[in-house]
Amino acid sequence: MFKYMKTLNYPVNIKKRDLKMAKYLHTQFGGSNSELAAALRYFSQKFTMPDEKGKSLLNDIATEELGHVEMIATMIKQLTEGASVEEMKAAGLGDMYSEHALGVYPSNASGVPFTTGYFAVTGDVLADISEDMAAEQKARAVYENLIELATDEDVIGPLLFLRQREIIHFNRFKELYKYYKKKGY
Amino acid sequence: MLFENNDFDFDVLSLAGFNFQEPNNYFGYKNEEKLVSTKEGFLRGNMWKNEYEPYKGMTYVKLTPKNEREALLYQIMEYDFAVNDLNLYLDLHPEDESIYEKFQEYVRLCIELKDRYAREFGPLTMDQTGSQNYEWMKNPWPWDKSGGSMYV
Repeated sequence: MFKYMKTLNYPVNIKKRDLKMAKYLHTQFGGSNSELAAALRYFSQKFTMPDEKGKSLLNDIATEELGHVEMIATMIKQLTEGASVEEMKAAGLGDMYSEHALGVYPSNASGVPFTTGYFAVTGDVLADISEDMAAEQKARAVYENLIELATDEDVIGPLLFLRQREIIHFNRFKELYKYYKKKGY
Repeated sequence: MLFENNDFDFDVLSLAGFNFQEPNNYFGYKNEEKLVSTKEGFLRGNMWKNEYEPYKGMTYVKLTPKNEREALLYQIMEYDFAVNDLNLYLDLHPEDESIYEKFQEYVRLCIELKDRYAREFGPLTMDQTGSQNYEWMKNPWPWDKSGGSMYV
């Protein structure tokens, strides 16, 4: 089960409104390499991990990823807070406004809704974990793109933090992959 | 602040290159050599000296708490982060006693600080019921922007 702790994983404290950045950040909320995809991918795959190492690692990384979903959504909320319809339209967020107003909806940067089609659960240990490794690398690349797009330190700080987490998760999954490979899976 | 002019002493080797080192390569190292401080680890998003790969020389933003409450909260987040990062490693290496000792130390500190926070500022988890009134639902929630100086 899950219990909530009333903090973010890392502080998000954005003072300056930036609607374009909010639009870009949606890619990590509800896009194909998003934190949401990561959380649901590991959460779902954990049920067919064969031993304690796989069960615990996928469970614990899935849990951490949910905290990252919250961080990204918080960034979007803070970047758009108090925006007028005119500002939303000017930033290319008119389409999103028509359905969601200032609601924070899991879609990618172009407004395409999140889908579980973004990840696989094969029931095969090696296939699942190699997908996890690739997912972490793709998310790292996306964070680097977002860091390039960002101009505000309040935005870049949390993005740098999240990028490091992708690196650590990749390393852990890689280790787990090797361990299962060696075990003959 | 994002670049290499922070107050911390950096591990020059890991900053210099983007060499990916497999965790297995340094299990022989001593505990203290494997980990950075909880403060630095939290800011970096990475407790492991040899797994840190900065992006284009950018390091991290230095957090400046605006009041006592925020300072305590950041400390809790710092230990909570360290616990999480060590936990992922221990899932794969439960036999590593020196890292488990560090893990236990951070868990202990985290619990102590959370209790203190609950007494002084309100609960962080629902089971912290020390105060006279029900305070769990009170603002600010972590996603609130409250002049940048409330929870987060």
